Amino acid sequence: MLSKMTVKRPGKMKVKMKSNLPRLLATLLVVISGSALAIDPQPPETPLIISLESPMQAGVRGGTLRMMMAKAKDIRMLNVYGYSRLVGFDTKFELQPDILLGYESEDDRVFTLHLRPGHRWSDGSPFTSEDFRFYWKDVANNTELSPFGPPKSLLVDDQPPLFEVLDELTVRYTWKTPNPHFLPLLAGPRPLYIFAPAHYMRQFHPYYSDAERLEVLQKEAKKRNWVALFKSKSHPYKMDNPELPTLQPWHNTTYKPSDRFVFKRNQFFHRVDSDGQQLPYIDEVVVNIVSSSLIAAKSRAGESDLQARYIRLDNYTFLKEGESQNNYQVRFWRAARGSQFALYPNLNATDEQWRTLNQNVNYRRALSLAVNRHEINQVIYYGLATEGGNTVLPESLLYQDKFMNAWTQYDPAKANKLLDELGLVERDDRGIRLLPDGRSMEIIVHSAGEETEETDVLQLLHDHWMDIGIKLHIRPSQREVFRNRVFSGDAVMSVWKGLDNALPTSNMSPWELAPYSQQQLQWPMWGNFYETGKGNPPTIPKAIRLRELQDEWEHSTSKLQRWDIWQEMLDIYSDQVFSIGTVSGIMQPIVVSNRLRNVPQEGWFSWEPGAYFGVYHLDMFWLDDSKGVQ
Amino acid sequence: MGYVLKRLLLMIPTLLLISFVVFVIIQLPPGDYLESYIAELQAQGESVDMEKVAYLREEYGLDKSFGEQYLSWVTGFVQGDYGYSFEYDLPVSEVVGDRMYLTILVSVLTIFFTWIIAFPIGLYSATHQYSWGDYGLTFIGFIGLATPNFLLALVMLYFANVYFGTSIGGLMDEAYINEPWSWGKIKSVLEHLWIPVVVIGTSGTAGMIRRLRANLLDELHKPYVTTARAKGLPEVRLLLKYPFRVSLNFFIADIGSMLPSIISGAEIVALVLSLPTTGPMLLGALQSQDMYLAGSFLMFLSLLTVIGVLISDLLLAVLDPRIRLEGGVKK
Repeated sequence: MLSKMTVKRPGKMKVKMKSNLPRLLATLLVVISGSALAIDPQPPETPLIISLESPMQAGVRGGTLRMMMAKAKDIRMLNVYGYSRLVGFDTKFELQPDILLGYESEDDRVFTLHLRPGHRWSDGSPFTSEDFRFYWKDVANNTELSPFGPPKSLLVDDQPPLFEVLDELTVRYTWKTPNPHFLPLLAGPRPLYIFAPAHYMRQFHPYYSDAERLEVLQKEAKKRNWVALFKSKSHPYKMDNPELPTLQPWHNTTYKPSDRFVFKRNQFFHRVDSDGQQLPYIDEVVVNIVSSSLIAAKSRAGESDLQARYIRLDNYTFLKEGESQNNYQVRFWRAARGSQFALYPNLNATDEQWRTLNQNVNYRRALSLAVNRHEINQVIYYGLATEGGNTVLPESLLYQDKFMNAWTQYDPAKANKLLDELGLVERDDRGIRLLPDGRSMEIIVHSAGEETEETDVLQLLHDHWMDIGIKLHIRPSQREVFRNRVFSGDAVMSVWKGLDNALPTSNMSPWELAPYSQQQLQWPMWGNFYETGKGNPPTIPKAIRLRELQDEWEHSTSKLQRWDIWQEMLDIYSDQVFSIGTVSGIMQPIVVSNRLRNVPQEGWFSWEPGAYFGVYHLDMFWLDDSKGVQ
Repeated sequence: MGYVLKRLLLMIPTLLLISFVVFVIIQLPPGDYLESYIAELQAQGESVDMEKVAYLREEYGLDKSFGEQYLSWVTGFVQGDYGYSFEYDLPVSEVVGDRMYLTILVSVLTIFFTWIIAFPIGLYSATHQYSWGDYGLTFIGFIGLATPNFLLALVMLYFANVYFGTSIGGLMDEAYINEPWSWGKIKSVLEHLWIPVVVIGTSGTAGMIRRLRANLLDELHKPYVTTARAKGLPEVRLLLKYPFRVSLNFFIADIGSMLPSIISGAEIVALVLSLPTTGPMLLGALQSQDMYLAGSFLMFLSLLTVIGVLISDLLLAVLDPRIRLEGGVKK
């Protein structure tokens, strides 16, 4: 240990000399932030004013909101629900400045971000361009913290941006080519963080903190090295470090492990209502960790004021029954997925016969035509769902009927004809078609086996496909096993949810429609090729075209151009039936306490875009009984 | 003394073997913690940064070979370092924390509950063999044994909530979690405690009644009982002083399995009732392949089993001369 130190010394001395100044600054800042506590808690000088649209009413501050989650890790949802982002989506899913006072973008290439004067972190320290500089210089470009350099999403054609601090409240990112990803990523439910609370994180950084102190801290946390220590302290998204200052409406006050997390209002939060009252209205959010199977039952007992996570459609009648007794209301929001369940033929399956078929568009179309979506809707979803393919929802501006209806009209005769034309005419004595090599066409659909609903849908599908001479078997397994089977090509077909982002605007990336990542179940190997360079490039022209369009979008400069790209991609994706959708627009029951105000009657319960309650401003919700306290 | 020492020394290879088996079994499912983690994020729609995953794999030592991982875990374990829980991002020793005490509370109370119910009923059933009372109590006991615990738990939760207004699941009202102990908190714990105690206790009670009854019946018809009765010993004193004591062997032998169950609690019931005990934590760790948390926990249970078996062997020898080993060649 000692010899190690002495070896390092000569090099380190120089660094230390240099680092004295920033360290001095750091201590100075700590002193300042100490005195900042004396500053009255207040929003920035120019706060973000949220206008109350009727029927929303100005609320009264105070009260405790109770929620339930199934795992301690789920407290990150408070970051999602709080949805305080540099820029964020509004309820129409358009980008608006949020934490930022404003931003300018030149051709989506040069982004100048303006911070709010007087904006402070939840601990009262000023939020300035130094926080951006610290992240860029000392985190993203630190060779130990980020051995691979800045996050990939900040690179365009493998080139990082030029980062400049213009003044205390202004920073600029400049790329050589357009980067339309940048702003939507900042607005994501799990956002790209390009800043960090420098005044707090410095103590874990060897450039600012002295070695002995860092070692003590590292021992305390039982970490192997300072990198591990730094990383465990600096998760802004996870909200699991009560000491980490935040810009969210509520900050965590409970150390893990715990079964109850208490979030207190951020007294420096940057939003106010139109009367000038600082948000959030609610003082305290309590998250109780309860096993997921009990969440519906406990909601019915009135033990949650706002609950949607872990509540399913089939809990609806059970919850509805308890409404009046326990003073809550069940509302129906809609889940924004391209399809509740979609089948993914694996175009990279290892079995050659099946791969050839899966890559054949008419085969995929036949499978889709044979699905009786109306029956699925009536039997499982009380007829409340929308029947159609796996594509964007009608509420998206990019929607066209032809995407939803392409090859989704139930027509077993046509499906049979398509299959006959493929030469799959021979059948065995059960009436099941035979593959060219004589095996019968029995498709094993791999599923993660998590929901009974999924099995129900597949059971119906089994009957539908029997009519076209194809037998379906369900193979439930565990999530990881399931995914590995798809990635390796063992699985010929899999079932999973549809498009994650089914309410896109043209400014959002259309990556889900093109080979992009290994996680895509219909072409994991093609996706892997673009993600990591392993895997194989796509071989069928339409998939290649989708990828070209994706690349075009990534370099696009105008909204109009992006619009055209989206339209063409949606058209190809639906017409080629790269995934077989079933039904969409499923209802999501939401339990809302009668005391809780300003919760919209209807809304999208959507992860992306929407951040679940995020775009509906959880900070604007308020509790009516706090009136009595006043 | 030499015997005890020999037994203690034998524990070392036993535990080593167990640790190896535990580690192998935990590693058996395909993938590792990070793959479960990626799958979970993906299910939510959250993106995964592959570079971060590569970093984590290195940081958690998941890129090392099986042998290396096992060795570093075992050597750490001996030194009191139980490894790191990936899921909680905390050292294993810090994760367990309070859960341990609550688990012990629930388990100890359950054991007492079982005894209080089982002993009188067992005694009655044996002494009144084939009577209506025996049949009736046996019947109830079998129902307790045959009803799935988790179902009973759900039914009782429902009624406790509807009739007593007890909050569903957990061991205390939410307001008391993480609060210092107070009368209110103790009251709240007691309000919640009886459900898990009764639910976990029922099946154990039924089993114990049957065993006590069978053992007692073996003794009751032995000549020494008849002799004692002929000599005019009062019936109750006779029963408790001789046949009952002899029939307790099974009870002492049970201690071996009881010790680990005190720590682990009844996993399934605890999961259904959402108890803040160690059971659900162990299940969660196994599901997400949080291997050091699961492994260290299982090792503790094994250690307690091994110690428990030793204790019950020694106690049995003390209690029952027939089992004593000093006798040497006893055939």
